[in-house]
Amino acid sequence: MTYLQVLINGLALGGLYACIAAGFSLVWGVLNIINLLHGSLIVLGAYLAYFAHQAWGISPFVFAPAAGLALFLPAFLIQRTILERVMGKPVLATLILTFGLNLFLDNAMLYGFKADFRKVIFDPPLGLLDLGGVLLPLDRFYATVAGLALVLAVWALLRTTHFGRAIVAVRMDREAAALMGIEVPRTYALAFALGAFMAGAAGSLLSGIFPISPVASSLYLGKAFVICVLGGLGSLPGVIAGGFALGLIESFGTLALGPELALTVAFVLLILLLMFRPTGLLGRQGFQ
Amino acid sequence: MSLRRTLSQRTLWAAFALLPLLSPGIGQAAQDTLRIGAPLPLTGALAPEGTKLRQGYELWLDQVNAQGGIKAGDRQLRVELRFYDYQSSTPKAVQLTEKLITDDRVDFLFSPFGSGAAKAASAVAEKNGVPFLASSASSAEVFDQGYRNLFGLYTDNSTLSEPIADLIHARLPKVSKVAILARNDLYPLSLANEFEKSARKRGIEVVYFERYAIGTLDHAAALAKLATTRPDWVVITGYINDLILVRRQMADQHIAPEVLTMINGPAYDEWIRAVGPQAENVTTASWFHPVLSYKSDDVFGSTGRFVELFRQKYGSAPDFTQASGAAVGVILQQAIERAGGVDRDAVRAELAKGGFNTFFAPVSFGPSGMADSYIPPVYQIQDGKVQVIYPRELATGEFRTGVGR
Amino acid sequence: MSRKSWQGLILVAAGAAGTAALLGLADNYVLRLATTVGMYAALALAWNLVGGYAGYPSFATAAFFGLGAYTAGVLQSAVSLPFPLAWPAAAAVAAAFAAALGGAILHLRGHYFAIASLVVADVLRELTNMWTDVTGGGMGLNLPLLDVGGVAGQARFYFLAMGLMAALATLLTWWTDRGRLGMALRCIEQNENAAQVIGLDTRRAKAAALTLSGLIAGGTGAVYASWVTYIDPTDVYDVLLSVKPILMALLGGVGTVAGPIVGALAFLALEEVLWRNVLEFHAGLLGLLVVLLVLFLPDGLRALRRRAAAGG
Repeated sequence: MTYLQVLINGLALGGLYACIAAGFSLVWGVLNIINLLHGSLIVLGAYLAYFAHQAWGISPFVFAPAAGLALFLPAFLIQRTILERVMGKPVLATLILTFGLNLFLDNAMLYGFKADFRKVIFDPPLGLLDLGGVLLPLDRFYATVAGLALVLAVWALLRTTHFGRAIVAVRMDREAAALMGIEVPRTYALAFALGAFMAGAAGSLLSGIFPISPVASSLYLGKAFVICVLGGLGSLPGVIAGGFALGLIESFGTLALGPELALTVAFVLLILLLMFRPTGLLGRQGFQ
Repeated sequence: MSLRRTLSQRTLWAAFALLPLLSPGIGQAAQDTLRIGAPLPLTGALAPEGTKLRQGYELWLDQVNAQGGIKAGDRQLRVELRFYDYQSSTPKAVQLTEKLITDDRVDFLFSPFGSGAAKAASAVAEKNGVPFLASSASSAEVFDQGYRNLFGLYTDNSTLSEPIADLIHARLPKVSKVAILARNDLYPLSLANEFEKSARKRGIEVVYFERYAIGTLDHAAALAKLATTRPDWVVITGYINDLILVRRQMADQHIAPEVLTMINGPAYDEWIRAVGPQAENVTTASWFHPVLSYKSDDVFGSTGRFVELFRQKYGSAPDFTQASGAAVGVILQQAIERAGGVDRDAVRAELAKGGFNTFFAPVSFGPSGMADSYIPPVYQIQDGKVQVIYPRELATGEFRTGVGR
Repeated sequence: MSRKSWQGLILVAAGAAGTAALLGLADNYVLRLATTVGMYAALALAWNLVGGYAGYPSFATAAFFGLGAYTAGVLQSAVSLPFPLAWPAAAAVAAAFAAALGGAILHLRGHYFAIASLVVADVLRELTNMWTDVTGGGMGLNLPLLDVGGVAGQARFYFLAMGLMAALATLLTWWTDRGRLGMALRCIEQNENAAQVIGLDTRRAKAAALTLSGLIAGGTGAVYASWVTYIDPTDVYDVLLSVKPILMALLGGVGTVAGPIVGALAFLALEEVLWRNVLEFHAGLLGLLVVLLVLFLPDGLRALRRRAAAGG
């Protein structure tokens, strides 16, 4: 019975985790940039959702796409003007650059919003689903379903729309794509913006469950890392698999080893995977 | 030509590097001003607590200067507080403490917030012989270095756990199992250890004792495990945000023990507002609450007056962190007045003698520097309000059992 | 003498003069700043061996630093080992760990190596947090106060100790730079596959660089622990301890001997100026400066000098 509860706890966040990591995986896979800004973008999305809820009473689960859209254009511009200059440069340059941007954004949020944790409070509370003794909080359920839906929507987007196919093409072979008439820099920027969209949306979903503060940005970045490596880079189904896998690891890990070790277990797994199977559970080279 | 250019470039960089040293040096404090150093976490994770502490300091400052300053022998000293932001980083707090002593030449020091930074910075104060008042450190580990300059306002963590354990043992003898979940941080973990000791002493079995990492945002798994041990009494330690989260997630899993004790959080208004009806019957303890009523010989005169002045200035009732800021000011003032001057040795001797009658509590310091002259009351949230349930002399309500789902 | 030798001599002379001046004239706060410069110079040099010469973006500096700090701390507090033994022991442990880590992750390239090295510090931090009986866990670890004199004596002692670490790091870097290891690392940085083809034992070279990096960072951590007398996991495994040395090396010029030192000096001066004058948003401004640095000065300050020289 306990095991069933632990299982449900682990699965309850899978879709949300997938949403957290999807944007990060996209940017890494397509632009080959590890976006250290990602965690802060998630937190920004969460703040937007929080303020929207305060002002207009919009549920953060519904607001998610709007939060994502709010980040889309600024991210596009950032890639076009700043990140474009370091495309193709050594890994260190891009890492440090996104680190600097992250430091700036984090502290801007700290300065603007202060470090106090904000919490979206549902009045009346959303409550629980009682599945024969096993409890599932509804806020997690909504977040995971919405997260999953968003990831699948993006997957469909990549497969069917013109701009989605352009992204995939550029990832597979930049020169060939350019020869085919695809505007590569613009595609990169679109991919980065799409990554930011996913981050903002994920943040919005998160705000419905967890407290928000700029100090939490590195926590979400860490999870995104682990999920990407677990599930395999360059694959949205991989991100989904990774998201659920992390949820289960955290849940069962806590049961077995105690809460303090849960994230450590994930990280150790990360290192082991990097050592022996960098392509993760479902990874491929391309981005499909 | 190019060598000269190279040299001039180097000179430029060297000058640039030396720039900070050219910042205006701050000389000796003016004869009629008392300078107190107060490093604060104004930014970073502890910023909320830093702000609270500052509010307490400034209220005291206002009162003192309004009443003509501190009477030191035959002089009236204006008080000046030197704030610097240590960005919630302990190494920076240490660096700042040193700066305040050597650069700003402060006469006395208030400690950084909390236990960890206080412990680290106290080493610097001790090395320099500067009396160092710790407003918010309560863990014995902070005071175990045998320092003479360190004085802590808060009583030892065991004074938070013993009274509650006593109450439970007396009113609910059937309680036999306790579960403890602690934040893996100096003060919360130290406090949790005290609860474990207090429980064991009374024959209550500790069926669960786990630590959660700083910054944990999801306690569901830990709580699921806790629930399997079926405890009668649950103790959670952490800071306000952790405790808001844990309370909600406990409700999510329908965990409803006979007694739920949470420290530090429920004593704050923000906490009660954040968890709403789930605050009901949660027990907590803290060194101060506006509901207390001491009469004192300090600039405030009584707890009630302090609360009133605080409300006038800031628009809300003071919590224990805010009160601590004002309390250390009051104690230092009384010590200086008794010593008749600002000589560090004389003031240190007065501090050690104790017997300070303050709005916060009657304060005397034990041999390690920790206050040991009062017992932090035990509180319980009843009908959305804080009631004192122990000790009897201060009680405003009766202990209730059972926590809502 | 060659240009480089002149530069080296000037640097050494400047260092000696500066040290003497500081010892004689400076107050404790300035000595503290100078000690911090020494610490960061050592860390920047440590990173430079792996990140600069070999081109492997290591984020493990904090891991080695923290490990050194805790090893020294535990040895001194639990077994009362005197510091002249504890410090080298700590450095050795960190070096051994680095060597083992190298075996595990040096076959990874680029991003993967960066992430793995970054995550190691987190893992070590959590393990330290857990092992409360030995390390004090979240409650931190007290180190004994070293008997080296009063306040002024302490300040001078630690200034010299960190200075020594920086000097050792410089010496190791200089030796690497001039010798076969340096040549091997440079080849790896240029084109690792080609280096393998021409018969270089790239594994050994990379491992050597990482081990030296661990040695220096670990030793620095040990000195740091005694300097502050109280450490906790969050402070010594802080990711900024991995990132700032990289920024300093970038600023001063990666893959050189003097670069990280100059970078450390410039970076700390910058931080101090920012922090004194901009109370609330200094960290954010630092982020902005970092962005500008990467975009416009990818070769560090040397690029300024070159441009000025070219322009003149």
